[in-house]
Parts: sequence; structure tokens; C-alpha cells
Amino acid sequence: MNQYTFSGTHRNVILGAIVLGVLCMILTWIGDDQYHTRFWSNFLHNSVFFTMVSAMALFFSAACITAYAGWHTTFKRVWEAYSMFLIVGMGLLLIVALGVYMHWHHLYHWADEASVATDPVLKGKSSFLNKGWYTFGTLIFVGLWFFLATRLRGLSLAEDKDGDSSFSHHQTMRKYAAVALPVIGFTSAAMIWQWVMSVDAHWYSTLFAWYTTASAFVSMIALTILLIIFLKSKGYYDQVNSNHLHDLGKYLFAISVFWTYLWFSQFMLIWYANIGEETIYFKERYNNYPVLFFLNLGINFLVPFLILMRNDTKRKVGSLSFVAIVVLLGHWLDYFLMIKPGTLITRNHAMGHGHEAPAPDTGHGAAEAAGHAVEHVSSVVGGFSYPGLLEVGTFIGFLGLFLFVALTVLSRAALVPKNDPYLQESLHHHVI
Amino acid sequence: MANNNSKEIIYGLYDDDEDLLKAVKAAKKQHLDIHDVFTPFPVHGLDPVLGLEESRLHQAGFVYGALGTLTAFLGMTWIFTKDWPNIFGGKPYWSVPAFIPITFEMTVLFAAIGMTVTFYIVNGLGPGVVNKHLDDRITDDKFCIAFDKSQVSAADAEAFFRATGASEINTKTI
Repeated sequence: MNQYTFSGTHRNVILGAIVLGVLCMILTWIGDDQYHTRFWSNFLHNSVFFTMVSAMALFFSAACITAYAGWHTTFKRVWEAYSMFLIVGMGLLLIVALGVYMHWHHLYHWADEASVATDPVLKGKSSFLNKGWYTFGTLIFVGLWFFLATRLRGLSLAEDKDGDSSFSHHQTMRKYAAVALPVIGFTSAAMIWQWVMSVDAHWYSTLFAWYTTASAFVSMIALTILLIIFLKSKGYYDQVNSNHLHDLGKYLFAISVFWTYLWFSQFMLIWYANIGEETIYFKERYNNYPVLFFLNLGINFLVPFLILMRNDTKRKVGSLSFVAIVVLLGHWLDYFLMIKPGTLITRNHAMGHGHEAPAPDTGHGAAEAAGHAVEHVSSVVGGFSYPGLLEVGTFIGFLGLFLFVALTVLSRAALVPKNDPYLQESLHHHVI
Repeated sequence: MANNNSKEIIYGLYDDDEDLLKAVKAAKKQHLDIHDVFTPFPVHGLDPVLGLEESRLHQAGFVYGALGTLTAFLGMTWIFTKDWPNIFGGKPYWSVPAFIPITFEMTVLFAAIGMTVTFYIVNGLGPGVVNKHLDDRITDDKFCIAFDKSQVSAADAEAFFRATGASEINTKTI
């Protein structure tokens, strides 16, 4: 079976997941505060997560083409399908951007003109952290990624149809892939600063974009492993065997370790330098999110590191899919920890609770005392201090949307490409 | 390598790794007992066909690495809290994040040195050791299957090498 048909139970289950997601988002909206912060932060969290997963699929495809790699060729349609989600992700993030213009939400402190006017830090960053840049980046940069993704996929499909021994399609793909690498590499960093890091508008870290991108990369590999194992269980992808899964498992292992390296590099430099403006980020998470903070490190480092260290656990479907599921949820939680604390502080600030990061202004004492009073009443906030059922439901909904797009795209072409110069290499791929 | 351990070997040389892989499969089918196979580079898929067990070197590597982790971490803990407590940059004596890079380096160092030494000992390699070998070209461009003459008769071996397309057949006592 080289042609996937997306219908019947698969389609119904995924549509059900989307309906569940929409239902959870409506419930979140109803029980929310006046700014609907929980709804909007969930929306941003999941939109960014799946858009970055999609961008990483494109990035890794381009990296493999540029590196003359052939191992992935049998299942490269999966990454092509994932990268087609970019247009949907762009649409979702444009809704967030529109919300900045229309003041639908208070996710970003820099979007509040009154704060920017009186705050020297926000004022200093306002040439980059402004709604014009936010919209431009979301529209133009993600649009550029999507353009490159459609070109790579278009050429890949054209190669199926009329590729010959001159491999002219692959030669052209090589050029687009070489352009895609620096374009995604640099612009994704800028967009991570805009979408995610600017949630903590006062704070910045030069490592943050790499760290976030590594997180998305691991999630992309985990989703690839899970989808391939699922398709194999349904009788598709006979050509993808334990050797290909072994290599995907190696990437899951290696990039998990790379993510940990970046997590730790960011943490240790800030911890050692001990500058208040920088430590505030970790102080907030360490004090108010201690369980999630260490759980994040545990499930995203220790689980893949200890389980996937051996050869056979990377080749067996059970252990590999177990780690893939844990790590996928783990990195979703990682994004949760990047976005939620900052949006909660911005919300409390906007609502006048004074739960703002200790700003170096005068007459702070009274505000702080008032803030503490509020803090003691509700230091644990559902949907912010921990992911509640509504967050999980929203995640399932977005996952459903992502898979709906990916599987629809996947069903429109042959699962295993034809006429790719690396196809034979991939079919005969041996790891051991 | 005492003399009473020496074996009479009959071996065939192949020009291509694909030919070698096919020949090894054929030998398994004919129940010919292969003494050893030599290739200039690792041939993928050869180990499972030969029925070789997975090397346990990496398990030793894990033990060496864990030893390095413990040595570094417990060593620094003892030095900086008991033996010679010092305050660096206003940090506590037992400042775990600062220990991590050194712990990591020691893990890598212990695993690397331990595995290298183990590999050399297991394979009888080392400085000044001269090992007997069948043919110089098996380190360059020839792929070799060797039979022990006490296990496989010379006639059987020669017939097998001819049938599977060996470019050369030789005997040697090592």
C-alpha cells in the first residue's frame, strides 16, 4: 500500500479531537478572567508549538537534502506533510497578532502603550517589540517558510511524475534547501523572540531561541516516530523498517541531550552571574512552579537518555513509542513553562494586583504589600500553575488539527517517493 | 600465540562487500563453519548474518562513565564541603550547577579511556604487539572468509570459494 487514504475511523477520531479542543477552548473562555488570559495563553502556546514543529520538519528536510543524506527518503513525505501545516500555523498566529492590534488579549506587556511610555526597558526594546514587527514577522517570515516548503514538496511531487536520470528536480531542490537553512535558522530565532520570549518582556536570553528550537525539533522527531509507527501498524510503509526507526531514535536521543545542554547552559550562566534582571526568570519558575520545573528536566532528559541509550530500545516499537510520547508531552510542558508564568504576571499587572516582577521603581512597598495579600489568597492558579484538563483538551484539539492537515496532505501523494536519487540508498538502509 | 595454538587456515578473497555478504549467507546455508571474516571496513548487515552477539563494550563504557560521574561529583562534594571549603562568587559550598560541567567531562574521559583500554586488552592489541594476520590486503581492498582446516575440508572450502566467486584462494598457518 503506497497510497494512504484518510477516511473512516482515522478521520472521525481526528475530527472528534478537534471538536474536543474547540469545546475545551469555549469552556476556557467562559470561565476565564476579564482578559481571557487563560484562553489566549493556551491559544498562543499550542499555535507556537505546532508551528515550530512544522518549521522544524521543513528545516530537517532541507538539512538532509543539503547533507546528501538518503536514510530518510522512504518517509520524507511525512516531513513534507508536516511542513504544510505552516500556513495554518501562520493563520493561528496572525489571530494572536490581530489581537495585539484590537486589544483582545493582554499576553504581551510590550503591547500596552501606557506601560511602554513609562517603562525605560520596554521603551528601549520598542523598536523590535512592537505590533508592526510582530505582524510583519508572522506574515512575511512564516510566509517565506511556507513558500520554501511548497517549493520543496512541489519539486518532490514533480519528481515522482516525470523525474529521470538527470535528477534535475533534485538539483533544484538542493538550491531551495540551501536557501531554506539560513532563512529558517535566523528568522525562526527572531520569531521565537517575538512570540515566546517577549512574554517576559523585561527579560532576555541570547540562548533562548536555540533552546526553544531544540525543544520543537525533539517534538517533531517524536511526532514523526509516532506517525510512522501508527501507519506501519495499519499496513503502510513496509519499506520503513527498524533501521530507519533506529536512526530516528538516535535523533530523539541526541537532540534531547542537546536540548538539555542548552537548558543547562542557559540556567547555569544566569545562576552563576546572579544578575537580578536575568535570575528573575528562573526565580519565578523555581519558586512558583517547582514541580513542573524539575519534571521538565526529568522527563525530557532522564527518560530519553536512560531508555534510549541502548541499541535495541531504539529499534523496538514499544520502548521507542513510549519515549516519543513522554518526550512530546514533555516538550509541550516545556513551552507551557516558557509562556504561562510570564502571561500570568502580565495579567496580574494589568488587573492591578501588583504581582509584577520587582520593578526598580519608588513607592513599590505599598503595591507589593497589596500584591502579597492577593498572592497568598491565590498563589496557585488553575491553567497557569499547572496544566489543567482544559489545557490538555486544547492540546488534543491542536494536535488533531495538526494531524488533520498532515494526513490530508499525506493522502494526496504516494507515501514512498519515486525517482528520488536517494531512494535505493534508503530502501537498503542498514544501521547495524 | 604459542605454536601449539597455531591453525591451518584456508581463506578466500573477494573483491566486493556485496559478494562477501552473499558468500557468508551461502556458507551458513551449507552449514560450513566459518572461522572468521575480515573486511577493510565495517560491512553493514554482516554481524547478524554471521550470528555475532552484540558487543558488550558499550556496557563496560556505561560502567566506566558512571564511575567517572561518581568520582567527579563525590570528589568535588568532598573537596568543597569537607576538605577545603571555599566560597566562589558568593555561591554555597555545595554548588551543584557549578559541578555539572566537570562531572560531564569526567564522565566522558572515564568512558573514553576505559573503553579504549578494554578494547585493546580484549583484542590483544597494544604498543609493540605484532599480531599474525592472513593477508595485508584485507586492510585495503579485499574481503576475506577464512575456514579452519580442521573444521572444514580443503576440498569443501575450495568448491565453496569457486561457487561464490572468490578471486583468490590461499592457505596459511597462523
